[in-house]
Amino acid sequence: MKLTVNGIEQEIFSPPLTPLLHVLRDELDVTSPKAGCQQGGCGTCTVLIDGEPRRSCLTAVAAVDGSEITTLEGLGEPEQLSPVQAAFHERYAAQCGFCTPGMVVAATALIERKGGPVERDEVLEALGGHYCRCTGYVKIVDAVMAASRGQTGAREDEPETGEEAPVMIPGSPA
Amino acid sequence: MKAVGARLPRYDGLGHVTGRTQFVDDVRVGRTLWVKALRSPHHHAAITSMETSKAEKLKGVHAIVTCADVPKNVYGHLEALGVPADEPLLADGEVRYKGQPIAAVAAESEEAARAAVEAIEISFEEREPLFDIRKALDGEAPQIHQWGNVYPHYGPYNHRRVRKGDIEWAFENADAIVEGVYRPQAIEQMPMETQVALAVPEASGRLTIYSCTQAMYFSMGVVAAHLQVPLNKLKFIGGTVGGGFGGKVDTAADTVCALLALKSRRPVKWRWTREEEFLASSTRAPWHIEIADAVTNDGWILGRRMLTLHDSGAYSRFSPYGVTKHAFHHTGAYTIPNLRFDGFVVYTNRVPTTAMRGFGVTSVSFAVETHLTRVAHAIGMDPWQLRLKNANRIGDTSGNGVAMKDPSTVPVTLAAAERVGVELPAEFRQMTPEPRSGDLLPEHLREQQRLNGEDS
Amino acid sequence: MPAEALVPTSAEEAARLYGDGEGVVVFAGGTILLPEISAGRLKPERALMLHKSGLDGISTDGGTIRIGAMTPVSALVGGPSELISRFAENVGDGEVRRSATVGGNLCATAGVGAQRGDLGAPLIALGARVRSTGKGGERTEPVEDFLAGDRSGRLVLEVELDAPSGKWGAETLRRRHAHSYAIANVAVASNGGGLRIGVSGVGPTAVRARAAEQSRNPDDVLRDVEPVDDAVASAEYRRKMLPVLLRRALDQLETA
Repeated sequence: MKLTVNGIEQEIFSPPLTPLLHVLRDELDVTSPKAGCQQGGCGTCTVLIDGEPRRSCLTAVAAVDGSEITTLEGLGEPEQLSPVQAAFHERYAAQCGFCTPGMVVAATALIERKGGPVERDEVLEALGGHYCRCTGYVKIVDAVMAASRGQTGAREDEPETGEEAPVMIPGSPA
Repeated sequence: MKAVGARLPRYDGLGHVTGRTQFVDDVRVGRTLWVKALRSPHHHAAITSMETSKAEKLKGVHAIVTCADVPKNVYGHLEALGVPADEPLLADGEVRYKGQPIAAVAAESEEAARAAVEAIEISFEEREPLFDIRKALDGEAPQIHQWGNVYPHYGPYNHRRVRKGDIEWAFENADAIVEGVYRPQAIEQMPMETQVALAVPEASGRLTIYSCTQAMYFSMGVVAAHLQVPLNKLKFIGGTVGGGFGGKVDTAADTVCALLALKSRRPVKWRWTREEEFLASSTRAPWHIEIADAVTNDGWILGRRMLTLHDSGAYSRFSPYGVTKHAFHHTGAYTIPNLRFDGFVVYTNRVPTTAMRGFGVTSVSFAVETHLTRVAHAIGMDPWQLRLKNANRIGDTSGNGVAMKDPSTVPVTLAAAERVGVELPAEFRQMTPEPRSGDLLPEHLREQQRLNGEDS
Repeated sequence: MPAEALVPTSAEEAARLYGDGEGVVVFAGGTILLPEISAGRLKPERALMLHKSGLDGISTDGGTIRIGAMTPVSALVGGPSELISRFAENVGDGEVRRSATVGGNLCATAGVGAQRGDLGAPLIALGARVRSTGKGGERTEPVEDFLAGDRSGRLVLEVELDAPSGKWGAETLRRRHAHSYAIANVAVASNGGGLRIGVSGVGPTAVRARAAEQSRNPDDVLRDVEPVDDAVASAEYRRKMLPVLLRRALDQLETA
């Protein structure tokens, strides 16, 4: 089997029913997708499979043979952050950082799909399956909206969040 | 003042947003073995036999540890403070909660470790479990702990006591007695990162331990004690924690990995599954809290009787400390001159409980604040006014006799009222934390300055 | 890991490799099975992996809609039937739906403390048929009959239904969270003079509420449906709410 992971083609030797998560972490040492629950419930293992966000813990590697995989490492470097990465960094949307890999990847796909500014309810829908147990949801949602509006770098431009009262991700523990 | 008010980047922010932050599970050390544990399937049982020889012979298995491999198996987290220990690292002869670790395997893969755990031959004789803290003191209740069902080591007492003023006088002179029972339940801290540890044996004989602990030096002491090695044999690497919220102050994975690393002479990693985190890791304690307040019709709380039962689960861990904190806070942010508080640490066959975000305090604050509103309704007074009238003021003394120097109850309550649009009469709006005088210093509060009675 | 992974490249090969289903675990999207396998709770000897079988896709052929068993649930959101879409969008979150399949949803058994198979309700209401293979060969049957049978011996190939033309109503009761399973689902549809009612999320499989179809009395839903207790809701609560949900769904029919 073959996978192209963050632009590099890789031969895969794990058995076919190995979760993509374990292939990435243990065979390829790509460690940003985390083993948060290994049953699809938390969202921190989410990666882009041919551009679409999916749970790597729920994906058998054979089922995505030949695909292009993008993880958080593949979105940008510390010296050259992607807009979503920059917004997360500048707006303190990462606290302990363990949910961040899935959040940033899913948010990046949302913005790509929309091709322009995303609204709060769209962010809530796209990130609704992702847990942040430090309960930093408000900052996360603000960061995604800001990134979609190009509001990164200079800190003067606050996100136009539209409403004052913070709206949590539906049903979140926040 | 460069930092206050400034937006400074998080020191670990770049690593977090680029996936470069190395959590314990992300550390890569060649030839690392995986750990799985045999955990108790029963809430309460005697272990009548255990045989690991078949499991040891399985392919890929490098080491198995049981209680016999632990130099000092029973060690208490608070032993350094003089609190005796009651919990074994690995179960010895009996199990007291479902999920309690009995043995641990280090093998080439998680799959091989799991197979070895399944191959350990073990038999149990089930015993009646105890789950309800309210029944623990009944004569018929199963006795589940070597000290009895209640933690006995509060000085001369078997519970944490607070005695202040003249509680009998308060209840005799009250216009109303308002009672309430509050039962906050267990909560799993549920960090996104499950408990995980990696122990690497070094050529020098030292162990390098990558830990997700919230309390590095604490965990280091615990490992050193169980292993009976000096601290300079341990090198701890931590500080990158994928959430803890109290659930990672008493990590057992560090010690188990250390033992297996020494025995197998290989790096070993134990990453708990989400199921283990939910079913076998410590939780916030459930509590049973009974409050009776002696109050006057004009809104003074003359006295409080309170009984607290804290569900410690199967072992003590930090619970005695949690109940002590709970006792300190049992008057909330209010001054009550006459008190009788009794708080018990009660053992059950649930998972041992531990810290979570305001250890011992959130539970009592929930009870006290709910009760104050109940008191206000009982005497027909506005709950905001009741709180402000009884609020801690400079010079008031707490339940344990500490004089308040800078109590914030009044300004915080007024600010909260303003934010939610509650309009208060001028006499309340003008309140400050300054010492009581005039109508706010009745005779019964003058008394409270003369602290009498005991405080254990 | 299974001793053998079978990866058919056509529907015919899938059916042949499945045979009578003995000793074969069907691996579709993997959202239910993969966590079981990687946690070591399920150890299949032979896994039939369907990702290359060509069993995915939605087609409209005259008045008939065909939905391949491997069609991801995400493809039903905003798909050919608005009624199905209403329930598809409640399955997991968007990322889970991209992996989860229609066939998997029809074959899912109850999870730990929760019921699965939300799609059963709208498919029953729309009179969908399931084409499956296995012991005794291929057969096509109403979805409610398929669900009531022994699904473990069947390989779902596709679901077909007449393009919806009538009115419908849909009610779902669930906690407001992407990962929360349904407490109860009710789907109703009328085509011509007939009324069909499907209920899911209250027991191990979706059920057709025939008595209530006849009487149009919402309370009669409990004559065909036996709600269960689980971690999501009590049977008692479900019994109380089902007639309420059905009444609301029927009201939608009236006002549609």
